[in-house]
Parts: sequence; C-alpha cells; structure tokens
Amino acid sequence: MPRYYRKPDAMWREEEASKNLVMKGFEMGEDVAEIGTSIVLSSGKMHALNVLGTEVWKLCDGKTGEEMVSILSDGFDVEREVLERDVKAFLKDLKELGLIYEE
Amino acid sequence: MKNEWMPSAPVTVNWAITNRCNFRCRHCYSRTDTNEELSFGELCSILAKLGSAKVFSVNFGGGEPLMRGEIFDLAAKASGLGLAVSMNSNGFLIDRATARRLKEAGFQKVGVSLDSAVPEVHDEFRGVKGCHGRAAEALRYLKEAGIETSISSVICRINVEDIEGLIGQALSLGAGSLNFHNFKCSGLGFVNKDSLDLSPREWREFYVFAVEQREKIKDLHISLEDPIIASLGQGNSDSLVRGSVCGKLSLNIKANGDVTPCGFIPIVIGNLCKDDLMELWSNSPVLEAMRNKTPRGKCLNCGHYSDCLGGCTARALALTGDINNPDPHCWME
Repeated sequence: MPRYYRKPDAMWREEEASKNLVMKGFEMGEDVAEIGTSIVLSSGKMHALNVLGTEVWKLCDGKTGEEMVSILSDGFDVEREVLERDVKAFLKDLKELGLIYEE
Repeated sequence: MKNEWMPSAPVTVNWAITNRCNFRCRHCYSRTDTNEELSFGELCSILAKLGSAKVFSVNFGGGEPLMRGEIFDLAAKASGLGLAVSMNSNGFLIDRATARRLKEAGFQKVGVSLDSAVPEVHDEFRGVKGCHGRAAEALRYLKEAGIETSISSVICRINVEDIEGLIGQALSLGAGSLNFHNFKCSGLGFVNKDSLDLSPREWREFYVFAVEQREKIKDLHISLEDPIIASLGQGNSDSLVRGSVCGKLSLNIKANGDVTPCGFIPIVIGNLCKDDLMELWSNSPVLEAMRNKTPRGKCLNCGHYSDCLGGCTARALALTGDINNPDPHCWME
C-alpha cells in the first residue's frame, strides 16, 4: 500500500476567505467543487485545489489512500465508495502534476 | 470583466529596497522615484507582514538591490520566515565572494540583466562600460555558488533583431531561464519610447519568433510574460488568473514602503509602514479596478479579450491614461 508525500519544494497555503465561502456554500447546498481553497506553487507552476483536494493534500504526509479516506469520511457527508473514488482520482492527479510522490 | 477567483493575499511581492543604482539605463522606470529609504527595522516589520500574510516569495529589486548592504540580512530573515527569496540585479557587484554570501543568505534565484549578446550594445544601453562582461561573470559565480540563475532581457529596438544571439548567450552562460521582458513606457522608458519601443506589428513578429524558439529549445526555459500573446494561442497556463498578474497575484513595494500594483504603475495604494497588507489587498479600489477591467475600443469585439483582459495595464495607463484601454502593443485590429 503506497504512502503519499508532498514534494518538499512545494509551497502552499490555505485560502481562508475562499474556505469561508465554501463553508457558506455547503450550508446553502451549492456546488463548491470549483472554488479553490488552497494554492500550491511547485516548479514555477501554480495550482488551486478545491476543498476536498486541499484536505487530501494536507494528508499527504505519509498516509495511505485508505487512511486518508477513513479520516475524511468523518468530515465529508458522502458515501464511502464515492469518497474512495474521489480521493484515488485526486491522488492520481497530484502525482501526474508532480506535486506528490509515493513510497 | 471579472477574474473568477482571487487569492486572499499576494503570492509574490516585488520589493525595490533602494532606488540607488550604479547604472544609467536608458529605459529605467525608477529614476524619478523616491530616494527615501526605510531603516532596517522598518524593512523587517514589512517582512513580518509578508510572512503573516503567507506570501510565497519576495523578489528584491530597485535600483540595484546590492547597493543596500543589509540585503543579505534581510534575505536571511525572509528565508527564515519561509519565503522564497530572489533578486533582480545588474550583476556588476557580484563577484565570487558575493555570490557565496547570497547563497548563504538564502537566495534561491538571482536574475541578471543582459540585453544584448554584443557587449558594446549592452554597455551603451546600461550606461556603464564593461558591464556586459561583469554580468556574464556574475552569472558564472552565481551558478558556481549553487544559485539558480536567469537572464532578463528587455526587448526593444537595440536587440529585437538578435533574439537568437540572446538565446545563444543564455545557453552558453548556463542560465536556467531567459526572461524576455516586454518594454514598458514608464519613467525613462516613457521619455525614450520613440527610439526604443516597437510597433504593434513588430511586437507580433517578435512574439511569433520567440514562441517558436521556446518550443524548439529544450535546454532553456524561455519566459514571455505578456498577456497580449493570448491572441497567438499562448495563454499562461502556469498562472491562476487571466490577463496581467499585477494586483492579482503580485504587488510592488517601493523603497519608502509605498505599495503600487506593479513597479510600472505609479499609483500608490498605501504604505506598509502604517497600512495592513491584507486590508490593502482586499479593499483597494485601484486593485479592484485592475481586477475588473471594462473593455474599451477594439477590445469590445475581440475574441481574445477573455484571456488577455486588455493586456498590460501599466502600458495602457502610461500611454492612454486609462487602465481599461487596449494595450498599445496589441496588434489585433
């Protein structure tokens, strides 16, 4: 089972204002998937991550995908299967972008 | 037109820590700027504001930043706060020992200006005999010290016919990247625009050629940060915003702490000795206007406007007096 790590040279920060916007959107039942709640800068390229992406990113400190799903299932009101699929897809994207590596 | 998403704080801050300079460049934007300088304590207070706003990187400039001896201590403090530290220099004061000190201070990247592969042309443009050789040496020392280097070339009448020469020079000096800066009509750039600036048609020809070279040459990163190249199908996919990044991802600080959207726009939106960075970033009417430009003139019916957002705001302001007017370099009819 691979463990995921953020690339050490990646700079990142959470965007508090956007995060608050997403929280409000959640309460109103709006689609917030397109709102970036963090920025990652790596190798001269900038990336905005949405709310799930940000949470996955923060967990890329040596956790497995399964461990991430277990932690995130407490905070996201979605079926575990859906969450597993989304986390897997997101890890794949991050890896393809060269933002994380696995061991 | 509105950018859909805006970061909650600047990602990069360009900071002219001094306006003093040992060069006399024909296009310099800052010769009429303030000579007032902040104390080291004031510089550190501003740095703390950048750190608490979680700004990613600070790029020191000027003037010549090495004219200010505290640059090393300031960079070390910035680095200690987690900021990526870089600098734009003319290279004249960078010998082997200075390059090592820059590395120790935490500089990750240093850009050196070289505007021509012909030494005499560069020297004449920058106003100092022998400065081409010194810049080339500086690049070698920086590389030897383990600092990533880039070359900055301001594209204008003196070099537009020899872009291949500039590329060859960057390759032979082992620079990591070559930044082709578009000419700005600010300061002396405005005074000398008639002899230095290119026509819109010439800008198009330059960019078509530069884009071809960028695609062809793999050993060198060629940077063309000009929003108007969106009309050549060259949107900036590395950026999170459309159009110019000034006031959207970056801000500029002058030697006296004044804040402007970029170094080429002389509109002061506040001063970081007394103002809060986040307050300025979130509530400045000037930044708001730059982030929500209204298309005018030929931009109204242009299919590329949604990508370029009218091009370079500094140029539109300098030459037309209105940030919403089309970029005067734009070649679209």
